[in-house]
Amino acid sequence: MIAGKLVNLRAREFGDAERNARWSSDRELLALTGHRYPQSLAAIKPAVRGYASEPLSHADPRFAIETKDGVYIGNIRLSDVSSDDRHAQLSIMIGERSYWSKRYGSDAVRTLLRFAFREMNLHRVELYVYATNARAIAAYQKCGFVQEGIRRRAYYSRGVWVDVIVMSALACEWSEEAR
Amino acid sequence: MIEGKLVQLRAHEMTDLERYAAWFNDPDVTRFVGKRYPLSLLAEEAWLRENTGKPLSYDRVQFAIDTRAGVHIGSIGFNQTFPEDRRAVLGIVIGDKAYWSKGYGGDAMRTLLRFGFEEMNLYRIELTVDARNARALACYRKCGFVEEVRMRQGHFSEGAYHDGIWMGILRDEWAAQQTELQAAP
Repeated sequence: MIAGKLVNLRAREFGDAERNARWSSDRELLALTGHRYPQSLAAIKPAVRGYASEPLSHADPRFAIETKDGVYIGNIRLSDVSSDDRHAQLSIMIGERSYWSKRYGSDAVRTLLRFAFREMNLHRVELYVYATNARAIAAYQKCGFVQEGIRRRAYYSRGVWVDVIVMSALACEWSEEAR
Repeated sequence: MIEGKLVQLRAHEMTDLERYAAWFNDPDVTRFVGKRYPLSLLAEEAWLRENTGKPLSYDRVQFAIDTRAGVHIGSIGFNQTFPEDRRAVLGIVIGDKAYWSKGYGGDAMRTLLRFGFEEMNLYRIELTVDARNARALACYRKCGFVEEVRMRQGHFSEGAYHDGIWMGILRDEWAAQQTELQAAP
C-alpha cells in the first residue's frame, strides 16, 4: 500500500474485474482514455488475474486507486518502463464518476510520481493526454507536469481527429514541498 | 517491389541476415537508433524468420532498401500502425555507411510516405529522433516532417541524457507538397 493524502495505491486484486467491466462500458470514459472497445467481464477477468498473480515490480507497476475509506475508484500505472533511460509513461483512469473533479486523481498522480522518483529512482515520467481533456491537462500541470509539445491529430475519436499533448515531469525539477 | 527514384523497397529475405547482423553491431549505425546491446546472429535470425515467414500486411510493413542497382543498403518500415487513427510510426536505418548523405535515405522515406498515404490510406505518419542526430533531422524536414514535441532528457547514452523529438506529417501536407513539386519548373 502506498499512502497519499486522499487515496491509497494498492496492488490490483482479482475482485477488481467487475468494476473494471462496468467502467469499460462508459463511452465518455473510454474516449478520454483511448480505449475504444467495451470489454466483456470474461475478457477482463483473465487480464486482471494476470496482474494480480504477478508480484509488482519495476517492469509493470499497476495500482488500484482507493479512497481512504477503501472505495475502489480507479486505476493508475506506469508502462514502457526503460531501465537504462530511467523513464516511464504514466496513465490513470478514475472510473467512478462521482469521484471526478474532487482531487482524487491528482492525489493519485502525485502519490505515484513520488513513488516513481523516490523509490523506483526514475528520471523522467511522461504522459500523453488528448487536447480535448482540459480537466486532466490542468490537473497534470498542478502535479508538476510540463507540456512539451503537440502531436497533431494523432487520435481519432467521436468523428474527429484530436491533438495529443505530450507532458513530462523530471526528477531534477520535482520537489515534494512545491506540490 | 515499391519503386523510388534512387531506391526500391522490397520484402526482407533470410539472405539479408549477415548484413543486418553486421549493421546492428556497428556503433556508428546503432548510435542514434536506440539499440545499445549487441545483437546475436540468432536473435537477428529469429526477427528475420518472423518477418519473412508471414506476408507483409497493414500490421507488418517492413522493407529492405535496395539501390536501383540492387545493392542492399538498409531497412525501413512502420513499426506500429493504428487503423482507427490511420496513423503509423516510421523507422529507418541505412546500414551501409557508404550510402550515407547521398539522398538514398531521403528517397526511401519519400517512397514509404507515398506508399503509406496513397496505398495504405494513412492520415498521419510520425517518428521520433535523437535531437543530436542533425543529419536525420534535416532529412526528415526535407521530406515534409514537422517538429512537434521536444521530449526533455528522454533517453540516456554516452554518459548523459539527451532530448528526443517527435515529428509528424499529415496527409494534407504531403499532398500539398506533391502538388508543389509538380508545379515547379
